[in-house]
Amino acid sequence: MMGVVRILLARLAQAGFVAVLVGTVGFALMHSLPGDPAFRIAAERYGPDMVDAAAAEAVRAELGLDGPVLPRLLRWLGRVITLNLGHSLVSGAPVLPELLDHLAHTAMLAAMALALALPLGLPLGVLAGLRPGGAVDRVVLLGAVLLRAVPPYALGLALMVVFALHLGWLPPAGFESPAAILLPALTLALGVAALGGRVARDAVMAVEASPFLRFARWKGLSEAAVVRRHGLRNASIPVVAVLGLQFAALLEGAVVVESLFSWPGLGHALVHAIFARDVPMVQGAALALGLGFVLLNALADALAALLDPRRARGTL
Amino acid sequence: MTAALLVEDLHVADAKGTPLLRGASLQARPGVPLTVLGETGSGKSLVLLAVLGALPPGLQAQGRVALAGTEMLVAPPQARRRLWGRTVSVLPQEPFLALDPTMRALSQVAETYRLVRGFPRPRAQAEAEARLRELGLEGTGTRFPFQLSGGMAQRLALAILRAADTPVLLADEPTKGLDAPRRDEAARRLRDEAERGRAVVTVTHDVAVARALGGDVLILREGAVVEHGPAAQVLASPSHAYSRALLAAEPSRWTRPARPPSPSGPPVMEAVALRKSLGGRPLLREVSLTLRPGELVAVLGSSGSGKTTLGDLLLGLMRTDGGEVRRLPGVAPWRFTKLWQDPPAAFVPHQRLRQGLDVLSRRHGIPFARFGSGMERLGLAPALLDRLPAEISGGELQRFALLRALSLDPVFLFADEPTSRLDPLTQATVAPMLREAARSKGAAVLLVTHDPDLADALADRVLRLHEGRLASAGCHPGGPLGL
Amino acid sequence: MSGARGLGAALLLLLGGLALLGPSLLPDPALQDLRSALQPPGTTWWLGTDHLGRSVLARAAHALRFSLTLAATAVGIAVLLGTGLGLLAASLGGLADRALAALGDATLALPGLLLVMVVVAFAPGEILPLSGGVALAQWVHFFRVARAEARRVLALPHAEAARVLGFGPDYVLRRLVLPELRPILLTLVGFGLGTAVLQVAALSFVGVGVRPPTPELGSMTTELLPYLPEAPVQALVPAVLVAMLVLGFQLLSADEGQKP
Repeated sequence: MMGVVRILLARLAQAGFVAVLVGTVGFALMHSLPGDPAFRIAAERYGPDMVDAAAAEAVRAELGLDGPVLPRLLRWLGRVITLNLGHSLVSGAPVLPELLDHLAHTAMLAAMALALALPLGLPLGVLAGLRPGGAVDRVVLLGAVLLRAVPPYALGLALMVVFALHLGWLPPAGFESPAAILLPALTLALGVAALGGRVARDAVMAVEASPFLRFARWKGLSEAAVVRRHGLRNASIPVVAVLGLQFAALLEGAVVVESLFSWPGLGHALVHAIFARDVPMVQGAALALGLGFVLLNALADALAALLDPRRARGTL
Repeated sequence: MTAALLVEDLHVADAKGTPLLRGASLQARPGVPLTVLGETGSGKSLVLLAVLGALPPGLQAQGRVALAGTEMLVAPPQARRRLWGRTVSVLPQEPFLALDPTMRALSQVAETYRLVRGFPRPRAQAEAEARLRELGLEGTGTRFPFQLSGGMAQRLALAILRAADTPVLLADEPTKGLDAPRRDEAARRLRDEAERGRAVVTVTHDVAVARALGGDVLILREGAVVEHGPAAQVLASPSHAYSRALLAAEPSRWTRPARPPSPSGPPVMEAVALRKSLGGRPLLREVSLTLRPGELVAVLGSSGSGKTTLGDLLLGLMRTDGGEVRRLPGVAPWRFTKLWQDPPAAFVPHQRLRQGLDVLSRRHGIPFARFGSGMERLGLAPALLDRLPAEISGGELQRFALLRALSLDPVFLFADEPTSRLDPLTQATVAPMLREAARSKGAAVLLVTHDPDLADALADRVLRLHEGRLASAGCHPGGPLGL
Repeated sequence: MSGARGLGAALLLLLGGLALLGPSLLPDPALQDLRSALQPPGTTWWLGTDHLGRSVLARAAHALRFSLTLAATAVGIAVLLGTGLGLLAASLGGLADRALAALGDATLALPGLLLVMVVVAFAPGEILPLSGGVALAQWVHFFRVARAEARRVLALPHAEAARVLGFGPDYVLRRLVLPELRPILLTLVGFGLGTAVLQVAALSFVGVGVRPPTPELGSMTTELLPYLPEAPVQALVPAVLVAMLVLGFQLLSADEGQKP
């Protein structure tokens, strides 16, 4: 079990690093804005009309916004790590509850996208890997190359034009009806499926050529038993090992796709906050996306350890 | 007695029609091991694949292969496959790679009972445990292959084959990568299988394996059978010139030259109480060694004993944990040199040999013509210069490596298993060249090997590295060293 | 696969030519003519006009030039930085190697586009943080590949042989490591350029990359979104150009990418 503990500790360290990096960027952003940060924060809390020098001083003292840079940064990071994320510079509302709402939307979208991508990409990848160079393989390869070249927003736009504007089957944007999730999820799923299918194809090819699969056949096992007992688990190991890449594609895609479909998730919030220079919101959204990425990777690690005894015992 | 396996006049050619196997015939009987002996490229592995009915697509086979009444060259794939695990089973080349890395040892044995022989689960488990016990693997049933040593992995593969209990057992280079004691153990186990009444066919390049197995021997060369008969007869008094050469190539049969007078002069290399740990495991505990000009010292050790590490420490390619390495003072560092185990790996893959020698001559100001005379002495044709390392044979490459090392006037040469990847006949040419060339330069040679016969045939002194310490192996000329 | 490489080269040649020659041959991309707004593609306007009557073809040529320059600059910085540090880490070993590797792992803690956005947040709409962010997100890929390949080659007997035969580290890196590294780097550069083009277009599309009136492939689509029903071609042409560009880079580097 030592291996699992070590992997999880590494992910924990990674989460800590994400918090420090995003917090430092937030701190630097706050100080890169024109004017006095204390004044801005006071304005967001009490409304622009209620701000005077005394209110700003109170904020400065409370948040420790004066003194040498390093202690100031450490106090700032301390607040980030304890999820004390402040108030939006635009709406004045506390950041955390708003973030949780966005997070729920992004999680829903990502889960839906994975639920569409896995049954689409994996079987096609396996079929392609069983007959490398065959018809399925070529079609899948072509599809994967094209899907990786088309920008996600263009893909989403095309789907929107076809399914919402021309056919009128699905709502083009928003989040009011349950069907609204389908188009953004499908846009994300196509990209993720292309990546996953490709990995599955290579994994199946590698296992198919492995000495242990040949030995399993020579042992006299039926083809079904060979695949079930020796093929599937071994082929799934590399697929799970690179899930992290697919999660990255998922979150990167979410930023663009949420903006296109006006889906109120973290990516949409991040883009808006950058646009409006709403530093606490930028910091909060980037933190939530970064920590989500680390968490997904930790889950992938746990799954990999479950499948691969070498990994669980720290020999890999 | 009828043959369990009959091969008659088997021809195999590749897609372009180049013959790979030209009329091989053999038969295997229960209880009598049959060994197919041949060098790399002799076509010996094709015989096994043809028997299995698993020749790669694209190869054309003619002749007859009869396995328990099934004609393997004409039977449909499904019929051939039905014999696997029931009539014929295979001991794979590298058992470690052939075991499922994600399945526990016991399950890999039990699935044969359950899925191939149809035993109910509890009985399959019990039988599998019994097989593990028989082979000294009790208590390892819950381990995964990566938790087994190489020897244990091979025994686990054998346990799987015993579970199948097929009348015919094929073994593909079962001693590849094993040192002498483990090679003999593997051969003994195969002989045991034959004595249990199975027909055992072993393919190998190692004459010692054929001798240890006994039974019948068939010698293949370039796809053709040159000799066939009982091992006792073929190996004792071979009738064909090639078989005679092959047997004479065994180091134990080499003629030993007269020993030179005991070496004199200041030591070129001295190790004092060297210590080294790798990965937390102490490899060398306290090793001291002195080498004088012109002497050839062999260090014997099994794989993992730290013999290569010792040489690399002397050359300064690795840092010691303690102790001291003293070199002859005032000598340029490149005059302390090395020969590598795997000749192709020691050459830059994208550099033609001429180019490699050319940069060397420019680096050290050696006239290129000097390589020419050296090549002539080592029997290397000038045309080889314009090839890439991958385009010439291992024996030729190792001679180029020797040429390269000798051109720098070495005082010390560390030869790391320099002939273990070469075919026996090539080894018999290259190894004495190494000795003579070093002697003519007056260089001290540290030869590291796992083969006691080779050490004995070449070295002035033989030391053994065991559990991190060096001891004199004693020198009994001509006699094999019991390991 | 050489057919695929040829296709990739042809695509890049076509788009590169448009980016190189287009701006001097075509009309001013900023020239507005509201009377000829949203003209469909035809003989006067090959790719039509946008809502301000500007030539889509002229704007696309400028945008292509911008995308290619930015991608090349960012990836160039990433290659030099990443490869240099990777070779340095592999040859130094020890503590320096571990510190650099940890820096690389830290960079990978955030998905690439997110890292770019965090940098862009300092000055949305400006070019310097955009290219800096793209380079920052990419250097680590070159670093990891260069380090791994250099470590592999340096541990091979032929690299050891070179040292034993009296060759210095400079020779070993230049003659032994670089030739093995070059094809891998070229493949990675191709994919890196494609990724950079995609990232810049995506960020500009959502409004935090480059902003109008600078012609940019992503923001050109955004500008025409309200007119999608009347001018679908003009809105989609920039996105198609992005796809062609990325496809070209991918196909050109596909051959090496197929190697196991």
